[in-house]
Amino acid sequence: MTTLTEQTGTVETDEEFRARLRGFLTENHPGRPPKDPAEKIAWQKAWLAALFDAGFAGPSWPREYGGMDLPFAQQVIYQEEYARARVPGPLGTGLGIAAPTIIKYGTEEQKERFLRPMLRGDSVWAQGYSEPEAGSDLQALRTTARRDGDEYVVNGQKVWNSSAEIADVIFTLVRTGEPDSRQHGISYLLVDAKAPGVTVRPLKDLTGASAFTEIFFEDVRVPVADRIGEENGGWQLVRTSLGHERAAGAMNQAALYRRVLSELIELARDRGLTGDPLVRDTLADLEIRVRIMRLTGMRTISDIQAKGEPGPASSTSRLFIVQFEQDLHEIAVDLLGEYGVLGKKDPHAVQRGRWVWGFLRTRASTIGAGTAEIQRNTIAEQVLKLPHDPAMPPR
Amino acid sequence: MNLTNTPEQEELRASVRRFLADKSPSEAVRRSMESDEGHDPALWRQMAGQLGLQGIAVAEEFGGAGYGPVELGIVLEETGRALLPSPFFATVALAGQALTASEDLEAQARWLPGIADGSLTATVALSEEQGGASLDAVTTRAVLDAGSWRLTGTKMFVVDGDSADLLLVVARADEGLGLFAVDAAAHGVTRTRLDALDPTRRLGRVELAGAPAGRVGPEGDAREFLQRVLDLAVVALAHEQVGGASACLDSAVEYAKIRVQFNRPIGSFQAIKHKCADLLLEVEAGRSAAYSAAWYAAEDPAELPVAAALAGSYCSEAFTHAAKENIQIHGGIGYTWEHDAHLYLKRAKSSELLFGTPVRHRARLADLVGI
Repeated sequence: MTTLTEQTGTVETDEEFRARLRGFLTENHPGRPPKDPAEKIAWQKAWLAALFDAGFAGPSWPREYGGMDLPFAQQVIYQEEYARARVPGPLGTGLGIAAPTIIKYGTEEQKERFLRPMLRGDSVWAQGYSEPEAGSDLQALRTTARRDGDEYVVNGQKVWNSSAEIADVIFTLVRTGEPDSRQHGISYLLVDAKAPGVTVRPLKDLTGASAFTEIFFEDVRVPVADRIGEENGGWQLVRTSLGHERAAGAMNQAALYRRVLSELIELARDRGLTGDPLVRDTLADLEIRVRIMRLTGMRTISDIQAKGEPGPASSTSRLFIVQFEQDLHEIAVDLLGEYGVLGKKDPHAVQRGRWVWGFLRTRASTIGAGTAEIQRNTIAEQVLKLPHDPAMPPR
Repeated sequence: MNLTNTPEQEELRASVRRFLADKSPSEAVRRSMESDEGHDPALWRQMAGQLGLQGIAVAEEFGGAGYGPVELGIVLEETGRALLPSPFFATVALAGQALTASEDLEAQARWLPGIADGSLTATVALSEEQGGASLDAVTTRAVLDAGSWRLTGTKMFVVDGDSADLLLVVARADEGLGLFAVDAAAHGVTRTRLDALDPTRRLGRVELAGAPAGRVGPEGDAREFLQRVLDLAVVALAHEQVGGASACLDSAVEYAKIRVQFNRPIGSFQAIKHKCADLLLEVEAGRSAAYSAAWYAAEDPAELPVAAALAGSYCSEAFTHAAKENIQIHGGIGYTWEHDAHLYLKRAKSSELLFGTPVRHRARLADLVGI
């Protein structure tokens, strides 16, 4: 497949695109991150701006909003090369979740105002969906937005927000209908994270770090113009994605875990463990799964290219990946024996305790963004067409 | 690498599926497995005559369609789905692929046309009394006697070994391992059927006492060729396993939709949903493993050993898991003789142990990728 590049006006093949991207990522690699958290964010923003300014941001985005609008095959190449280059990823969660929603459902004014700054990293976006009483059952959310002229007045609490402490915009779901209106009374609002009445508190998680926050809204005034879609029509917007960017993203995960598993195998070999048949069997099982991850990604991609839609394999790929990453880290800890328990502060820790940290961190893999149980329900009902659970609220 | 079927391949799959649904439904499978032959000879002739399935991976010059492992894989996925009792696997996937891989034009000209037109059944005999489908463990001797090869030894767990017309036997000569063709009707060949778990695929014991043989394939030590034959067998079996696993999932899902307990279909319970979702994950991952292995077999043989070990390990376990869960989801009816669920379990478990266990496939993969 070929595409016309703006820079040269000539036809660029997939492999030429790969080489051009790889060249850019190599030559402009920002090096190691600074230790200081504030400096690290500035460092990451500088990278994202450089990426945007060079025309290497937003592989699946339309060009009119600063994206690359790549053909699907090149989106896959982009994800593979990005993972391979070990350069900083996006800041916040706006790019993958809010941006597709705005691109599909936003007004022209909203697209102009929000998209480019988000893509360039000038504006960091954080998600505010989950609430203490609305996790898997997100339709039960209670944060209210009461209409007052051309503003909403927002009150309530959100939780499990990542990047909210550095965010400029919180994209959130609020109740604009009656308290029991469930999915029929939810609206999609963009809240200025610096507005009066917004309080962001770090939430210490089981790793001891604070990767997530709680957000409290107290009489926060949000212009009605910052609502995406219709009032009470927010639920339909929640799962918007752009084309098949998730399928391309799965290749990024496959490339990432290919590298991580190779590092684990290397570690096992260095520690003289790979002569043990049980260790070999365990590592071979991980090797099989990491290869299948990539093969399924490729199969999904060729299905999309041939038929316009991913097959059923794509519905299970996230479940496959999260189970793999949990198993990988636990096996790593087990292989290290007592050394597996040493954390990064201990001078005797192996590889600064990365594996035990991963063992803890990946507890979140089967909880966040839909628990593994909810994912299985979805696969069973939407792909296998098993009947709805009458004990659950109607869809 | 393209792992998506072309429209022509989709049509092949659909026509084989239609054919087997029509000609080999459950009642026919059961009739065949209880018959003397162990399969339906009329169906075998139709497979060759109407659909040309036996020749799918045979070169055109020998009367076949000239396709390769990918198309053969599609057919095997469907025969595995239908649990077809047939000499197809042994004749086409084992012996046919071995002859093609041998690059031995004389042997190909002699036997491939018969395989392609359905007049000849054949198999490959590797395992011996200690079991394990291992080239290293082969002790059957091949001796040159006045310019003719003669084989002596005992082969076990030979697929259709009790019935195949032609036996391709792995044996050890002075210069190393080789493949030898033996006419099953020849003097010095004694065959018995083993009382094995899977009633839809028969296994035999073959005793060779100075049986006359002809060498097939490379001279000298043919280990590399034989390993390829074994890898191709594992990949072929992986497709059958994916088809079988997929049939188990479909059966479980279908039953979970209609079986009502506690006033609701059991498929509305999360305990059942989650099992089915996990099976779909494994069936789809198994497809990725099997399809990619067939692609490597056809396009990039250097990668075949790793791909075969991967598919052999994953698809074996996926099928057995699906077969067990299918029985569990069916509950009591799944434990009856009348329901087909047990036939899939028996096929799954015996396939899992046929050409090296999952553990052995993983050990080989670990060696190959440098773990």
